[in-house]
Amino acid sequence: MTTLLTSPRDLVRADAVHRSVYTDPAIFDLEMERIFGRAWLYLAHDSELPKPGDYVVRHMGTQGVILTRGKDGAVHAIFNRCSHRGATLCAFEKGSAPAGHQCPYHGWLFNPDGTLKGIPHPGGYDGVLDKSDLAITKVRTATYRGFIFGNLAGDAAGPLEDFLGHMKTSIDDLVDRSPTGQLEVGKYQLRHYYRANWKMTFENLNDTIHPGFAHSASVVSAKAVMAEVGAENVVPTVGMMLANGKPIQFFQNLDMVTVPGGHSYIGGHMGANYTPDTADAYTAALIAHHGPERAKEVLSVDRHLMLLYPSSFWHARYQTIRIMRPVRHDLTEMIGYTFRLVGAPEETHVNAIEYCTGANSAASPVIADDLEIYERCLEGNAYDAREWVPMARGLGEVREQDNARTRSPSTSEIYIRNQFAAWAAYMGAEA
Amino acid sequence: MIVPLITEVTALIELEAALLDDCRYPEWLALFTEDCLYWAPVSPEMVSPREGPSHFRDDRQIMMVRTHRLANPRAFGAEPSPRTLHVISSVRIEEDRGEELLASSSQIMLEYRNRGRFEEDQRAFGSRVRHRLRRTPEGLRIAEKRIDLINAEGAFNAMAAPL
Repeated sequence: MTTLLTSPRDLVRADAVHRSVYTDPAIFDLEMERIFGRAWLYLAHDSELPKPGDYVVRHMGTQGVILTRGKDGAVHAIFNRCSHRGATLCAFEKGSAPAGHQCPYHGWLFNPDGTLKGIPHPGGYDGVLDKSDLAITKVRTATYRGFIFGNLAGDAAGPLEDFLGHMKTSIDDLVDRSPTGQLEVGKYQLRHYYRANWKMTFENLNDTIHPGFAHSASVVSAKAVMAEVGAENVVPTVGMMLANGKPIQFFQNLDMVTVPGGHSYIGGHMGANYTPDTADAYTAALIAHHGPERAKEVLSVDRHLMLLYPSSFWHARYQTIRIMRPVRHDLTEMIGYTFRLVGAPEETHVNAIEYCTGANSAASPVIADDLEIYERCLEGNAYDAREWVPMARGLGEVREQDNARTRSPSTSEIYIRNQFAAWAAYMGAEA
Repeated sequence: MIVPLITEVTALIELEAALLDDCRYPEWLALFTEDCLYWAPVSPEMVSPREGPSHFRDDRQIMMVRTHRLANPRAFGAEPSPRTLHVISSVRIEEDRGEELLASSSQIMLEYRNRGRFEEDQRAFGSRVRHRLRRTPEGLRIAEKRIDLINAEGAFNAMAAPL
């Protein structure tokens, strides 16, 4: 195992990356400090905290934070850690604490913004305790169109909108699809985990070459079932599996867009759609809200996954966001959330739920194959003297480039090179 | 001889699990109705798979794809193939509605995949399972199998074998 004798920047070349970035626990620790400690991380949606006192617990890298709606209506983020003995305050992922967060150990009570509200037996602290010194550390937050992001770097971080850049358009794509401009988070989340590095998911989800191989078994099986039931009777989930069987030339023609910061998306290519009744009712509702021209514009946007480096994956068409939670260098959790387009037919949310199940369940035939591959890569990258992992596919195939974005064929590994350019910039900056 | 209903129901639930353990998938599928639902929710509170995502939310077509794939040697997520063992206990008939009846059972499924990773290669899934059974001219058939994993809300690693 490599130790960090050299600068992390030396682990990234223009066309290859050193394998230790996937296997070295010391690099993982530095990533938590320098990437997850500096980037804007998507945490929660406004609709998860409808009333004062409502809270959710989320992770920023390996650290737990509590987001609570205050009486003033603002959302406050603080570490999930009592400032007395260090116990976590919240045991549940969500709940309501209108009276404040109370530590289960000695009953210290905190306001949503982390200030100390009360302690038991205050006489024991007479003249020795300054309550203001014992406020829980706050985490800086910012909201874009109802989506709450946090940043552990506090004032040292730039504005959220600069971080998002062109990727704002993919968040707009999600919100604008609502016939009321409102989204509501689904009640249930779907989680899977794998025993490999967090970056594997970022490097896999918009990889358009692997499906024809890694997912060939589900394509073969989906085709066999289609032959048995008839193409016109294929259900959407099976349709999604068939989408993985498209020829490579299809993906070569499709665009991939990469932007500074490690973010990317590719053009839409999933076959499943609403039933005619749902589509008609939905389109009518959208026209009523946006007017016919704008509604047409909203529906014409067709993007597959937006990868918001380093922690979330957004699919506007299927109203699904997945948050990646890095646990260890060799352990990663993925958490899937669906969103209801408020005012749209309920079937549109059912469609999102179906996508989320197919895309994020550990029991999804497609995901099961991916997880197996991630774990094989972790194992294999510990072997042999070959230390560099190439990421050269499509180098020199750029179609168009300006300051905001680069357009390439979706078969290119440019999105991986772009992620590692961001990785090296975060990791190489010492303070 | 008249077989008591509980005996018939228990035999069916045990047969269903045994067919999975023996990888006899076409026979397993034949126990389910055309309009069946095979469902492992992410919370015991869910009343419908339309409320949110699920670990498994299979109609017959997805069950067909899933089992066809398990028999395909290039299914990486199932390579090497999982070997399973179901242990079933506490079979009860919860409700008899005439055309359909509801039965519940406690099930533990052990799953083993030989990946050379010692104890990580074997997992245990514990569930309260509910079968909605339909009386048909061919006998009892499964209209719905709902698997409430005791850790339903948790994160899972790849699950290739049906529970």
